[in-house]
Amino acid sequence: MPHINIKKGHDLQISGLPDKTIQQQIKSETVAILPTDFRGIKPKLIVKEGDNVKIGSPLFFNKVNPDIKWGSPACGTVKTIEYGPRRVIQKIEIQLSDSQESEKNKKYKNSEIIGLAREVVIDTILGANIFPFFRQRPFNTIPDPKVIPRDIFVSAINTAPLSFDQEVVIKENLESFQAGVDALNTLTSGKVYLTSKTGSVVSSIHNVETYTIDGPHPAGNVGIQIHHISHLKPGENVWTINSQDVITIGKLFLRGIYDPTRVITLAGPCIREPGHFRINAGAKISTITNGRMINDEKRIISGDVLTGRVTSPEDFISFYDYSISVISDEVKREFIGMLNPGSSRSRYSLTPVFLSLSKLLYPFNTSQNGSHRAVVPINAWERVLPMDILPNELYRSILAKDIDEMEMLGLLECDDEDFALCSFACPSKTDVSGVIREGLDILQAEG
Amino acid sequence: MNWLLKYLLKIKPNFEKDGKLEWLYPIYEATETILFSTDERTKTAPHIRDSIDIKRVMILVVITLIPCYVFGALNVGYQNAQALGIARGWTENLLFGFKIILPIIIVTFVTGAFWEILFSIVRKHDISEGFLVTCALIPLTMPPSIPLWQLAIATSFGIVIGKEIFGGVGMNIFNPALTARCFIFFSYPSRISGDQVWLVGPDGYSGATALSVPASTKGSDAVSLLDGIAQFDYSWYNLASGWIPGSIGETNKFIILGAAIVLMGMKLISWRVILGGVSGLFAMSYIGMLLAPYSDNSMLSIPPHYHLVMGSFAFGLTFMATEPVTGSHTDAGRLFYGFFVGVLTVIIRSINPAYPEGVMLAILLMNAFASLIDYFVIKINVNNRMKRYAQ
Repeated sequence: MPHINIKKGHDLQISGLPDKTIQQQIKSETVAILPTDFRGIKPKLIVKEGDNVKIGSPLFFNKVNPDIKWGSPACGTVKTIEYGPRRVIQKIEIQLSDSQESEKNKKYKNSEIIGLAREVVIDTILGANIFPFFRQRPFNTIPDPKVIPRDIFVSAINTAPLSFDQEVVIKENLESFQAGVDALNTLTSGKVYLTSKTGSVVSSIHNVETYTIDGPHPAGNVGIQIHHISHLKPGENVWTINSQDVITIGKLFLRGIYDPTRVITLAGPCIREPGHFRINAGAKISTITNGRMINDEKRIISGDVLTGRVTSPEDFISFYDYSISVISDEVKREFIGMLNPGSSRSRYSLTPVFLSLSKLLYPFNTSQNGSHRAVVPINAWERVLPMDILPNELYRSILAKDIDEMEMLGLLECDDEDFALCSFACPSKTDVSGVIREGLDILQAEG
Repeated sequence: MNWLLKYLLKIKPNFEKDGKLEWLYPIYEATETILFSTDERTKTAPHIRDSIDIKRVMILVVITLIPCYVFGALNVGYQNAQALGIARGWTENLLFGFKIILPIIIVTFVTGAFWEILFSIVRKHDISEGFLVTCALIPLTMPPSIPLWQLAIATSFGIVIGKEIFGGVGMNIFNPALTARCFIFFSYPSRISGDQVWLVGPDGYSGATALSVPASTKGSDAVSLLDGIAQFDYSWYNLASGWIPGSIGETNKFIILGAAIVLMGMKLISWRVILGGVSGLFAMSYIGMLLAPYSDNSMLSIPPHYHLVMGSFAFGLTFMATEPVTGSHTDAGRLFYGFFVGVLTVIIRSINPAYPEGVMLAILLMNAFASLIDYFVIKINVNNRMKRYAQ
């Protein structure tokens, strides 16, 4: 089994690590899909307020590509549809009914799936309205189902701070995971790559190219893995999918239904008894965090602390997010803080000042720890970016909007989530990942 | 200290938009954030940030310079006592030195702060901490006998031409502290060219620096020439430990080595520049030694380990060449950049007849070429990628 060793990067020593056992399902009275979670789509409604829907019933489709529809994550009635400026759909909220029914699809036997034709598999997934689980690189958007991807990448290792433990989740769904992987195999002309840590439960999965991977965050990011296993060339595209969604696809083929439950982590310095929880996709934040937060000024994040989205108890968890992180939003002002190089604040700094060897966990808060300044290139970005990319030069080419230069410097292989640590580590407090996204948007708009 | 913070926040509205003293906002902002760490919060992902910021980077560099100041003061006092031919205790030497150095530091910081504040008010940006390092470096590169008015002009030139006209810290192409020194070097050469020793002594007292000893004598071996000097102890060990006349902060190489290790450990400076610089110096001086038998230039016969401790090479390499903004920005580039700083230092020292010391000019020259080196590194990176794409 090939092995990849990632050296550059950094594992955040953030406190509030989740407990490994999965708690019982949290019931949410309403769930929602937020069309704003999906980059580059034009949503067009299929349902209206008051309609009854089952699990998997289509709610809206993409005007750009009408084959792609979004299935309801619950059975009940459409409670509200919220519009933003220029009547962009912000939210479709569903009130759950007492009994949960699903749209029925054809079932397959374990052994059948690998032999299915690509059209059958694509049509099943599109028909079940769960195709948006797939995302493509470059650009990290929902792919065109008609385009055959070069390869499909699945990461069975999470290195992001406070993310869910893949081993625990995959272990209890090994059969569905295998079925999902078999289905993926029919979709690509190339290979399905699966990455895991050494000695993982997924080593028993077949019909995949398994790579073991070792190293600090962002080693678990699929973008980094693509770069090291088989990098992206201009004109190519590969698909990626989260391991839990592979399980969902597996269940679709084995049981004929879309199972919207997923395991997330609720963790962070401001969470009492952080752990893994089973929830309904699109659940309301307050139903998850209820009674589990330590009461003070705090920020709730849908996703991890490096890439997530600010949210509130009244909001809903994002489509692609598998964790809710809660950190303190209370920033204390230290007297002559800058003359305090060895204080506990800097202990976790990437610049190893004096005491960095300590492995104690640190309750990070939302402090920016400094003001924005011009970039001083002391290699803070390079040390946390395990890619053959010159981040400084790439950053400047994006600021200059030089499209040729961006492409030559390898922007197509990058995604903003892989640069989140650069923003974290930057002493000038530069939003590196934001600029990378800006560059990708420019490239995509150019076609 | 809560009362102070409360007071600062109370007077803040005066300095904000439409306040009476709006134009003084940069000064208010600097005072507030120097006294109290900022309470700015992240707005988007990543929601947490590392505790390092530019203020901390700069202040850490300034802290590592403090030992150079202390030794500098001690040495100024010691050299003065030697020149006068009197015996003086350590404390007295130190006090004497501080009396000489303190006005130099004050003049530099006042001039530097004046320009930095003026530019932040006019251009409406925050006061950048970078001037602290620049102003902390300038006195260390000056002879203790420097007239204060020359110092003020040089500091102004360094800060304004070396930095502010490019837009401030992060945008300058030449090291501002070296630009200041370079200004004095060419404007008042009799004071600073490096032929004559600089020390605070009796009128008319003079002597040759270690570098000008072999430079002024033809056709002999540099080390034996240095050993033959009675006025100062120019043995290798003494050159390294810094009890020689020179600029204020550069004489003790052990202190500089310590500072370099601390800065490299904190990853604030690149070890690649240091490694490249020392190898460049060794390589070029070794070539010089090979050529020495065919020339009457005694400078060529200076062995590599002497080059390392003579003049300001160690200081310049540690604190000036490693400056991240004006040096190369790529890792491979930094090795070459450092290497050529070392090579050029030896070339200017040995082969150039005008100046016995070459570190300053070597670094400034390489500042100019740093982006050219980066250009080739980027080209190689791009070419490799294109080759991979073509496969």
